[in-house]
Amino acid sequence: MDPSPNSPTGRSGTPETGGPEPPPAASPGAAPPTTPSPAPLPIAAPARVRRLGPIPLDRRTATAAGVVVAVLLVVGIAWAGTGYRYDPYIEKPAAVTGKVPTTDRELKQFATRLDRRSRELTARLKATAPRGVYIVIDQTQNRIYLKRDEDTLLDARCSAGSGLVLKETGGKNRQWVFDTPRGRFEVLTLLRNPVWAKPDWAFVEDGQPIPRNPADRLESGTLGEYALYFGNGFMIHGTLYERLLGRAVSHGCIRVGRDDLRKVWANARIGMHIYIY
Amino acid sequence: MRHRRAFIVTALLLAGLTTLGLVAAGCGTEKATAPASDVQSQIARLQRSTSLLQRQIDLASGKDFYLVLDPAAGDITLVLSGAELQRYPVLGLQMGQPRVSWVTRPDPRTWQDIVWAHGELDPPRQIDRFVMQAAPPTKEGTEATPPVPPTPEEMYPVPSRYHVRFDDGLSIEIRPLDTDAEAGRWAKLRAWFTAKWHDAKDAAFDRERDAVRLRIALNPKDAASLYRSLPPAVRLLILSGDQKKVPPRT
Repeated sequence: MDPSPNSPTGRSGTPETGGPEPPPAASPGAAPPTTPSPAPLPIAAPARVRRLGPIPLDRRTATAAGVVVAVLLVVGIAWAGTGYRYDPYIEKPAAVTGKVPTTDRELKQFATRLDRRSRELTARLKATAPRGVYIVIDQTQNRIYLKRDEDTLLDARCSAGSGLVLKETGGKNRQWVFDTPRGRFEVLTLLRNPVWAKPDWAFVEDGQPIPRNPADRLESGTLGEYALYFGNGFMIHGTLYERLLGRAVSHGCIRVGRDDLRKVWANARIGMHIYIY
Repeated sequence: MRHRRAFIVTALLLAGLTTLGLVAAGCGTEKATAPASDVQSQIARLQRSTSLLQRQIDLASGKDFYLVLDPAAGDITLVLSGAELQRYPVLGLQMGQPRVSWVTRPDPRTWQDIVWAHGELDPPRQIDRFVMQAAPPTKEGTEATPPVPPTPEEMYPVPSRYHVRFDDGLSIEIRPLDTDAEAGRWAKLRAWFTAKWHDAKDAAFDRERDAVRLRIALNPKDAASLYRSLPPAVRLLILSGDQKKVPPRT
C-alpha cells in the first residue's frame, strides 16, 4: 500500500484525524484481502524547520553561513591591514661614500677640505637667490607679492590671464589663448602713463576691423598710471576694472589696482626679477 | 680524580684569561677607533651636506619649479631659480610604506639625497577653458562680453587630501589638518572609507605607484593654496635633518 498523503508515514504532515486510516474500498474485480493489514505504528512528527524567507534554517545553511562569515572576517582583517603604514620621518644615517683616506691625519685633512667645499657651496647657493626687491606672482590665486630677501613688502590682489580661447571668424581664422606665462622674467622697460598699442586680438574680440594705420591702434588710459614691460607683449599694469581684481580676467598681462601699482612702481627698476608661478 | 681537578682548574684559568683578554681587546679597540669613527661620521655628514648643496645649486640654475622640504626647519618651500616663492609650515611629517595584510613591504629604492622629478597633482587641477568665437567685424563693432570667471576658490575645489606623484614611485600626500573638523559623521566616514579604499588598492595592486610615500600635514589654508598654485612637473629635494618636533597629529 502506498502511503497516502495524509498517512502518518507521509512526509508532508500529520493526519487530520487521530485514528488509523480506514482500508480502501475494494474494487469490484479484486480479491478480498485474506488478512487485514496491520495498522501503521505512530511515528513522532519531525521538528518543523524554520525558514528565513526562502532559505531554510537548517544545519547546512548554518554551515554555509559560518563559512561565509569566516571568509568575510578573514578578508576584512586582511583588508584592514592593507594600505600604508606611517612612521615618524627619520633621516637615514649618513654613510661615507667614495674613496676615503685611511690614516687619521689624512682623514682630518679630507674633512677640512670637505668643510671648505661645503662653505663654498653655501655661498654659491646664496648667490643664486635674487638680490634686492623682486616680484612674485601667483597666477592661479591672482596675487602679487613684492619681496626683499625673506620680507614681504606687498601682498595684494591682481588679475592674471583668463585662459580664454578666442577664435577669429573669417580672415585668417586665427586663435589666441589668454594665458599668463610661468617662469622667471626681468623688467625690460618701465613706462609712465603707458599708451596701449592694441594688438589684433583686441579688435577681433571687439568685432572691429583691424586698422591698417598703426596710429589707430593706440589707446591711452587703459593700462593705468604705470606699466612694467617684461617681454613678449606681457606687462604688469593698472586697470579700469578694479572690481574684477582677484579673478583671472586679463589677456595674459598682470593687472594691479592703482594703489598697489604705485607701491610696485616705487620699488621697480630695470632688470628687476619677476617670478610667475 | 687528580686529573679531573687539574682539568677543571686549567679550564677555568684559560676561560678567565680569555675573558680578560677579550675585555682588554674590546676596550683597546674602542679607545683606538673612537677618534677615527668621529672623523668618519663627520666626513659622512659633510659629504651629504655638500651633495645636497650641489643639488640645490643645480636646481637653482635650472628653469624648473621645485619644492624644498626641510624637515629640520619644519617647512616646505616652492622655489624657482633660487627665489623663494611660497613657504608653507609643515605641521606633521611621516613616512609611509605599503602594507598588505598587516605585512609591511619596505622598498629598497633610494629616496633621500636625490631629486624627485616630474611631480604632478593627483587629482589634477582641472582647467576649464572658455572658447569664444568672435563675431565678424563691423564698422560699429560688436563687443563680445566673456563671462566673469569665478574666484580661484570657486574654480578649484581642493580635495580633503591629495598627492603629488613623482617618477619612480615616489609621492607625497598632503593632508590638511583638521580639515573635516566641521564635517558631519557620515562625511567623515565616507572620506575615511574612500581614503582607505584607495590606499588598500594602491598597496595591494599597484606597487610601483606609491612605493615610497611621505605624508605631509599642512594648515588647511596652506594645503589649499599649494593645491591651487603648484606648477606642473615640479621637482622635490629633501634636505638633511630629522623632523622638527611637532605635535603628532596627522
